[in-house]
Amino acid sequence: MRESIPKPLAGATLLTILASMYLIFNWVPTEASMGIVQRIFYIHVSSAAVAFAGFILGGCAAIGYLANRIGSRDDLSVACNEVGLLFACVNLITGSLWAKPVWGVYWAWDARLTAMLLLALIYAAYLILRQSITEPGQRAVVCAVVSIFGMVDVPIVYMANRWWRTQHPAPVIGGGGSLDPRMAFVLFFTMFSLAMLFWCLVRKRRRLESLRRNIDGLRREVQALA
Amino acid sequence: MEENLKWLWAAFSIAWALHIGYLGLLSGRTRKLERQLEDLRIQLSEQASDQ
Repeated sequence: MRESIPKPLAGATLLTILASMYLIFNWVPTEASMGIVQRIFYIHVSSAAVAFAGFILGGCAAIGYLANRIGSRDDLSVACNEVGLLFACVNLITGSLWAKPVWGVYWAWDARLTAMLLLALIYAAYLILRQSITEPGQRAVVCAVVSIFGMVDVPIVYMANRWWRTQHPAPVIGGGGSLDPRMAFVLFFTMFSLAMLFWCLVRKRRRLESLRRNIDGLRREVQALA
Repeated sequence: MEENLKWLWAAFSIAWALHIGYLGLLSGRTRKLERQLEDLRIQLSEQASDQ
């Protein structure tokens, strides 16, 4: 069976991640007001961007599944959503660890943070729902609907700190804020390296789903022959 | 600055631990399913040869 992460892709991903860690810890200048802890920004924002992209890709794959009922689209949807949830969790945890020294608290129930938590909970519910429905066709349809619902929530989370008063800083991408060019470079490079990691994990997760599908098919054949 | 270093360390450690842990989980689940698939193939070929 074809390997899920080709070696050149795995190698390139590892190299870009190591390069991004070098840039974050050794190259990018330290922010004046927050100091060294501001370096959490690079992994915090990049994880959110990758999670959003993953949820949107998962939602588009779900729409594709509902349109054509091709099983591989359901595999892609679940892979993107599960890996997207991992990145959303990294975003929430790194955000809390950044908030503690800067705001004095781990968590504030403001619009942006609460919206992001709700988004993560939607996808956690999606995965629980997936486990609880046994009939494959019904499972794929119900989960596709939840996936589309989650995708629609992504722009609301992104816009939350523009639409409502919030403690969270204004968006650095498309938010009109100014960022030192070296900081912007490191941010986009980290996003790129995490996007490569995302794709490696999605490929591995898709393989798992395709193995499950093959096993279900073979079990049916075994039962038919018995 | 020294005081804040622990938050930076914690954030990056937890982030990478989650990614590596998830990758390990996927690898373990994949190996288990590959074994199941192989067993089923053997079972199916034995049943086919019996008939």
